[in-house]
Amino acid sequence: MGGGLLTLVRRALVAIGAGIAVAAVIRVRGSGGVPPQTGGWRELGGTDLE
Amino acid sequence: MVSHPKPAAGGSLGVRTLNKTRRVVLFGAGATGARVARQLRSSGRVDCVEIRDPDEMTAARLIDSLGDGAELGVGRTLDESVGAVVIASPGGTQTVLARRAIDAGVPVVTTSNKTAEVRRLLSLDQEARFSDLPVIVGAGFMPGLTCLLAKHGARQFDEVEEIHVAKVGTGGPACARQHHRALSSRGVDWRDGRWAERTGGSGRELAWFPDPVGGRDCYRAGLPDALLLVPEFAGVQRVTARQAATRRDRLTAPLPMLRRPHPEGGIGAIRVELRGRVGRERRVTVFGAIERPAVGAGAMAAAVTLHVLDGRMAPGAYGLAGVDDTAGLLRTLASRGVKPVRFEGMSTFV
Repeated sequence: MGGGLLTLVRRALVAIGAGIAVAAVIRVRGSGGVPPQTGGWRELGGTDLE
Repeated sequence: MVSHPKPAAGGSLGVRTLNKTRRVVLFGAGATGARVARQLRSSGRVDCVEIRDPDEMTAARLIDSLGDGAELGVGRTLDESVGAVVIASPGGTQTVLARRAIDAGVPVVTTSNKTAEVRRLLSLDQEARFSDLPVIVGAGFMPGLTCLLAKHGARQFDEVEEIHVAKVGTGGPACARQHHRALSSRGVDWRDGRWAERTGGSGRELAWFPDPVGGRDCYRAGLPDALLLVPEFAGVQRVTARQAATRRDRLTAPLPMLRRPHPEGGIGAIRVELRGRVGRERRVTVFGAIERPAVGAGAMAAAVTLHVLDGRMAPGAYGLAGVDDTAGLLRTLASRGVKPVRFEGMSTFV
């Protein structure tokens, strides 16, 4: 009974640790998104405001 | 799209406006109020701006900086000699003032960005229509310019299905406090024809704002934009509003503000994304603007006030998505120094 509980706790700790490690890798290595590759911002004017 | 009836040429609104002096009462001498006052005075189209603020020292300093054509006022009493009232006081104080103005028969421009207050202001619609007065709700940077750009951009669509707005930055201290509260408040989205409450700080989305602001993580928050947009776009399926926040903002959102906010925030930006249909083609259009939020809000509120004084705003309580002459208002805004932009790139897909 005691050994089973200890195994469960150990597995839970390993799972949490693995989760933290993966999250850290994604956080550090992740690019956070891709900026628009084409186009650009243009001021409204002329026919836009007719 | 839903339209508010335009004031008829020579109709009651126009005649009533001509009988008045171009005198404006401004409640609030904070960061936004100061910009409204400066914009109205520099327009040369307002005879006098009467500034009222509980902090009379601040109001007096602003009046000194404005010179002729600005004067100090006290209390909440209004009379029919006033051409328009602009309310730039902190959120939560604007409904009472708006109701006073309606009772006095004076058109109102409000700048609230507080969800509960925007609901209350919109509920003044019947009173405003009965009194034949425009009550403009949320005439700021966001809400305000975002609503106007959404309505303007929607003209290029046969059907608008989705509207997504987002903002970065804060104006004065009152705006910063509201920004802080909003992140821990429940947001309200419109989804598939019904309102959906969302937890503030959830729903991270990377939004691209005009340069130099660029990409920012934006989150749901207690923002009133959907309340102002949905009534003006019949058949719209999704309307969402988000605000940019840092990790520290999200972590400290449930706590009281840990330090006093700055007198004014830095550069800010807004973004309006419209998704819809043009013929058989599905299209996405993105508008934006960059400005210090208090400057943008002040310019927007001043431009709206000038249109109110000219009798160009229809009676009723509505946001700027309810304006018919969006191009005219955007031109007035551009003359006040705020020029929105549009993203041009890949925007269509079948």
